This record gives sequence, structure tokens and C-alpha cells, in this order.
Amino acid sequence: MAVRLYGEPGLRQPDMVVGWPGIGNIGLIVVDALRQALGAEELGEIEPWDFFYPSKVVIRGGVLETLEFPGNKFYYRQLEHRDLLLFTGEEQPSGQGREYAEGGKAYEMANLVLDVAEEFGCRRVYTSGAAVALTHHELRPKVWAVATSPQLLAEAKGYVNTVLMSEVEGRGNFGNITGLNGLLIGVARKRGFEGVCLMGEIPDYLSRIPFPYPRASQSVLEVLGAALGIAIDPKALDSMAAQMDGVISNVFRQFPPEVREKIDQRKHEIQTRPGMITDEEEKWLKEHIDEFFKGGEKEQ
Amino acid sequence: MTEVVQFSARPEFRSPTLLVGWAMDAARLGWRVTGHLIDRLGGQPFCHIEPLDFFPLGGVTIENDLVLFPESTFYACPEKDLVVFRSTPPGHEWYRFLNLVLDVAQDYCHVREMYTVGSMIALGPHTAPRQFFGTVSSRELKTELSAYGLTREVDYETPPGGRPTLNSYSLWVGKRRGIYGANLWAPVPFYLVSSDDPASYRTVLGFLDERLDLGLDLTDLDEQAKALNERIDRIRTSSPAVDGYIRKLEENVGLSQGEGEKLAKELEDLLREEEG
Repeated sequence: MAVRLYGEPGLRQPDMVVGWPGIGNIGLIVVDALRQALGAEELGEIEPWDFFYPSKVVIRGGVLETLEFPGNKFYYRQLEHRDLLLFTGEEQPSGQGREYAEGGKAYEMANLVLDVAEEFGCRRVYTSGAAVALTHHELRPKVWAVATSPQLLAEAKGYVNTVLMSEVEGRGNFGNITGLNGLLIGVARKRGFEGVCLMGEIPDYLSRIPFPYPRASQSVLEVLGAALGIAIDPKALDSMAAQMDGVISNVFRQFPPEVREKIDQRKHEIQTRPGMITDEEEKWLKEHIDEFFKGGEKEQ
Repeated sequence: MTEVVQFSARPEFRSPTLLVGWAMDAARLGWRVTGHLIDRLGGQPFCHIEPLDFFPLGGVTIENDLVLFPESTFYACPEKDLVVFRSTPPGHEWYRFLNLVLDVAQDYCHVREMYTVGSMIALGPHTAPRQFFGTVSSRELKTELSAYGLTREVDYETPPGGRPTLNSYSLWVGKRRGIYGANLWAPVPFYLVSSDDPASYRTVLGFLDERLDLGLDLTDLDEQAKALNERIDRIRTSSPAVDGYIRKLEENVGLSQGEGEKLAKELEDLLREEEG
């Protein structure tokens, strides 16, 4: 189990931004967009075989040439005022048939990522993921933030379009962040890094659909750009977001009319009377959406 | 703490071949081929891998009222200089598991070549000749095995969303460690996948017999294959639907998904009925 670095660029206390797949692939899209927008260069990788089943075999002329594994790569970019380390994993090491990472493998991977952060003198780590929310797909997703220290929370409160997790109506003071996008922040805290997790809102009724949700990634990217003090044009994701808007509208049109009506009421309620979606309404909708998707699975 | 790899005997080999078969492929081909060899060659278990690190042990699987438990066992057939490894496919830690298999094969047995056995679901009829083939891990072996009519100019990449087979993974790990070999792929007609298909494992065993000079008498498998064909012929006479579907396949006309499912279900039921 090892990290392979291709070089040793001299970085000045870089911040690190990390993304793995998850609901809506929100964090992964954020890091990919950052990497492309900044023209980040490859720095290294985590050897994948202890974490993943291979994703592809290549056979040429009857000879097994190679086996490919999900990628886990580090990138870096030296900017005028700030250096950045990026990490993306194509899969979470789920090991025991679970959807998201947990347990020994996840902990090992989180530590390997942070080993590289430490080696380059990194001071702060950002992860991002999905915040499943009682919202509407036509509303701008907010960003929920959690952090590893009260000082950072105070900073996060000042970010644009951002709420702290505890401020979200009905959530109370407790919650959890599933998978490596959450675990990494925990391990970062244990190891003494500053850590912030930024979660883009995805409507509850879309969270079970295996589609990317780039509108939420756009919101996170906007916050991250401001937090890092770098100019990232969130419109970089416009074409992907527009494409997914069309797909989501199509799915939404297939919902039963009474479900659509209930969801559409949210647009009004959230804008005028935040917090007015009751537990009963939430339960009713969840049951009807589950029923709708179960029907789709049966038809397949 | 229990050792992950446990030896119960220390048989001696010269420069053996490793044969790997997994439970749970179509028609249980790998399991049947390895079982047949162990049975015929008097193979004796000499080593196993403990399941704790590799299998979900949250309970136990029951199949036809029988309790199943993961097993990963090495058998020695020293007279034929053959090592057979039979295992339930691991549920996680695949790379470590395959390396443990090859640690035993390479460091203890000094294996020089490896074969894995797997089945392919074929869309053609059982009356067509079985187009058996292999994928190899070196060009040298490809040249060598072409004498057995085993190799083909196959180009293949796992399609998006798919995963390579455990056989490909095994062959790749072997290649990284300098143990070259082949995955042996035998087609099993789709409507015999959940039954039995002696013709398919006869094909694989015929190759292994020739390549490894095992001196096997495969007459009984020829007879079993013939008997199965005769049973299917009888079913075809009594069931116009089954006959119609198989005839279409013999005329190289594809079946719809529904037709294919009906053929598989009906034939399976009728074969079971015949067995009483």
C-alpha cells in the first residue's frame, strides 16, 4: 500500500481540496472543475490494488495486456497568492459491498491522502459532498458547512450562500456525513489539520437517482473559489448543468401529479416561509417517491 | 491468532502447473472441472486460506437445504505435478487473496504455469460444437498454445459499468509475479446454465489432459454428454415449444429475451421432472 509521487514541487503551505464520488457526485465534480480551470498538473497517485476491484481488462489478440483500476490521483497548482493540492478518487473503497466507504480501508485511504498533505506542508483541507435537502431542483442550491474548529465555523458563516449544518431548519445540532468526504475531515481533525466540508444541496427526491447534480457543484465551487481567494468561473459547469436540468425535468414530469404538486409547493414555501415543510409532508413525499422508483425498478 | 494460510501437509512438487477453479460460475464449470480432476487424480488437500479476512461472515448460505461455507483449498496431485486451487470467490481484499494463492503456488510449490477455468454463456444451441478458447498472459505462451487450437485473435475491453472476471484478475496478478498462464473459457448454452453441461467441462478437461499429460479417461463424460443430448431430444419430442426454440437456434435465428427465458425455464423444469 503506497503513494507514488511523480515529482517534488516546492509548494508554499498549500490548501488541499479532496473529492470522491457520492450522491450527485457533487464533490467529485467540484474537484474536477477546479483541476481543469486551474490547469493543475498530476503529482502522484495512491496504488489502487489494495483498495479496489479492477474496473477494466484489456485483451489484445488474445493476450491479456493490462488490468485497469479506479484512479486515485493527486494534482497541484502553484498560484500567485496560494498553492493548491487536489485529490480525486474515482471510487470510494467500499470493500464489504457497501455503497460508501467505512472501516479500515476508508481510514487507511484517508490517512494516505493526509500523508501527502502533511508532506507538502498543507495547513487546511476542504472536502465536499451532498446535503440531501427538502428543496426544489429549480432553486439555487445552498451550501452547508461544517468545520473542525469554532474559528473556522465563524469563517464559514461568512461564505456566500452558505449555512452551517446546525442552522438548517429541523436538523438540530447533530448529524453525520457518510463516506470518505466526511471521514477525511474527521481524520484531518485528529491529525491537526484545519478542515472544512462544504456540502451542496440536492433535493431529497433526486438523491436516489444515479445522476450527477452539477447545480450543487456550482454552488460549492463558488464558495470554494471565494474561500481560497481564487477566481473560478462557476459558469465552467454551465453546459453540464444545463444538460442535467433537462434530464431532471424529464424525470420530474414522470412523477405522479400529486407528488409534483407537493414538490412545487416547496418553491413558494421555502422562499416565503422557510421551515414550513412539516414532518408529515416530508414523510408523505418520501413514501410516494419511493413507490414511484420501486415501480420503475419493477418495469425494468 | 490463526495464520491466514494453513498447511496440513507438505507434498513435494517438481515444477507444477496451477489450476484455479471458482465456485459460482455458469454451470459451475470451474468447480466441476477442478472437482473432476481431484477425484480422478486422487488429489489431496494440503493447504487452505482462512476465510475471516476475505468473506462476509455475517451468517451462512443455504442451498437446497445444505449449509454452504466459503472454502479456499489447495489440493496436490504430485504424481501429475499438478496443484489445484478451488475457492469461493472472495468478497473483498481480492488483491491480497490472489497474492496469498500465488505465494503458496510460487514460494512453496514452485509453480511454472497457471490456468483458470471459466464459463461463457453461449447464445447458440447445445447441438453446436463448443468453441472453446483461451486468453493468455504472454505472447510466448500464445504461440505454444496455438498448437492446441486454444488461442484466438480476441480483442476485448470491459464495457463501461462492467468488471473484469476474477479469472482475468488472477491471470494479471500471476503475470505481475512472472507466472504466466491462460484463462480457459468454455461456452455453456444459456439454457443449461443452471443445470449441468458435461460437454463443456469435457472440452476443458480434454485440453488439460493433452497439455499436462494427465492420462485421463474421459469416456464417462462423453457418455454423460451423450445422455444429456438424448434427454433433451426426448423433451423436444414431447414439448413442441422447447423443440421450436432450439430449432430456431439451430437455424441460427436468435430468440427474444422472453423466448430465451421460457426455453431455459421449461427445459430446466422438464429435466428436473425427468430426474424424478
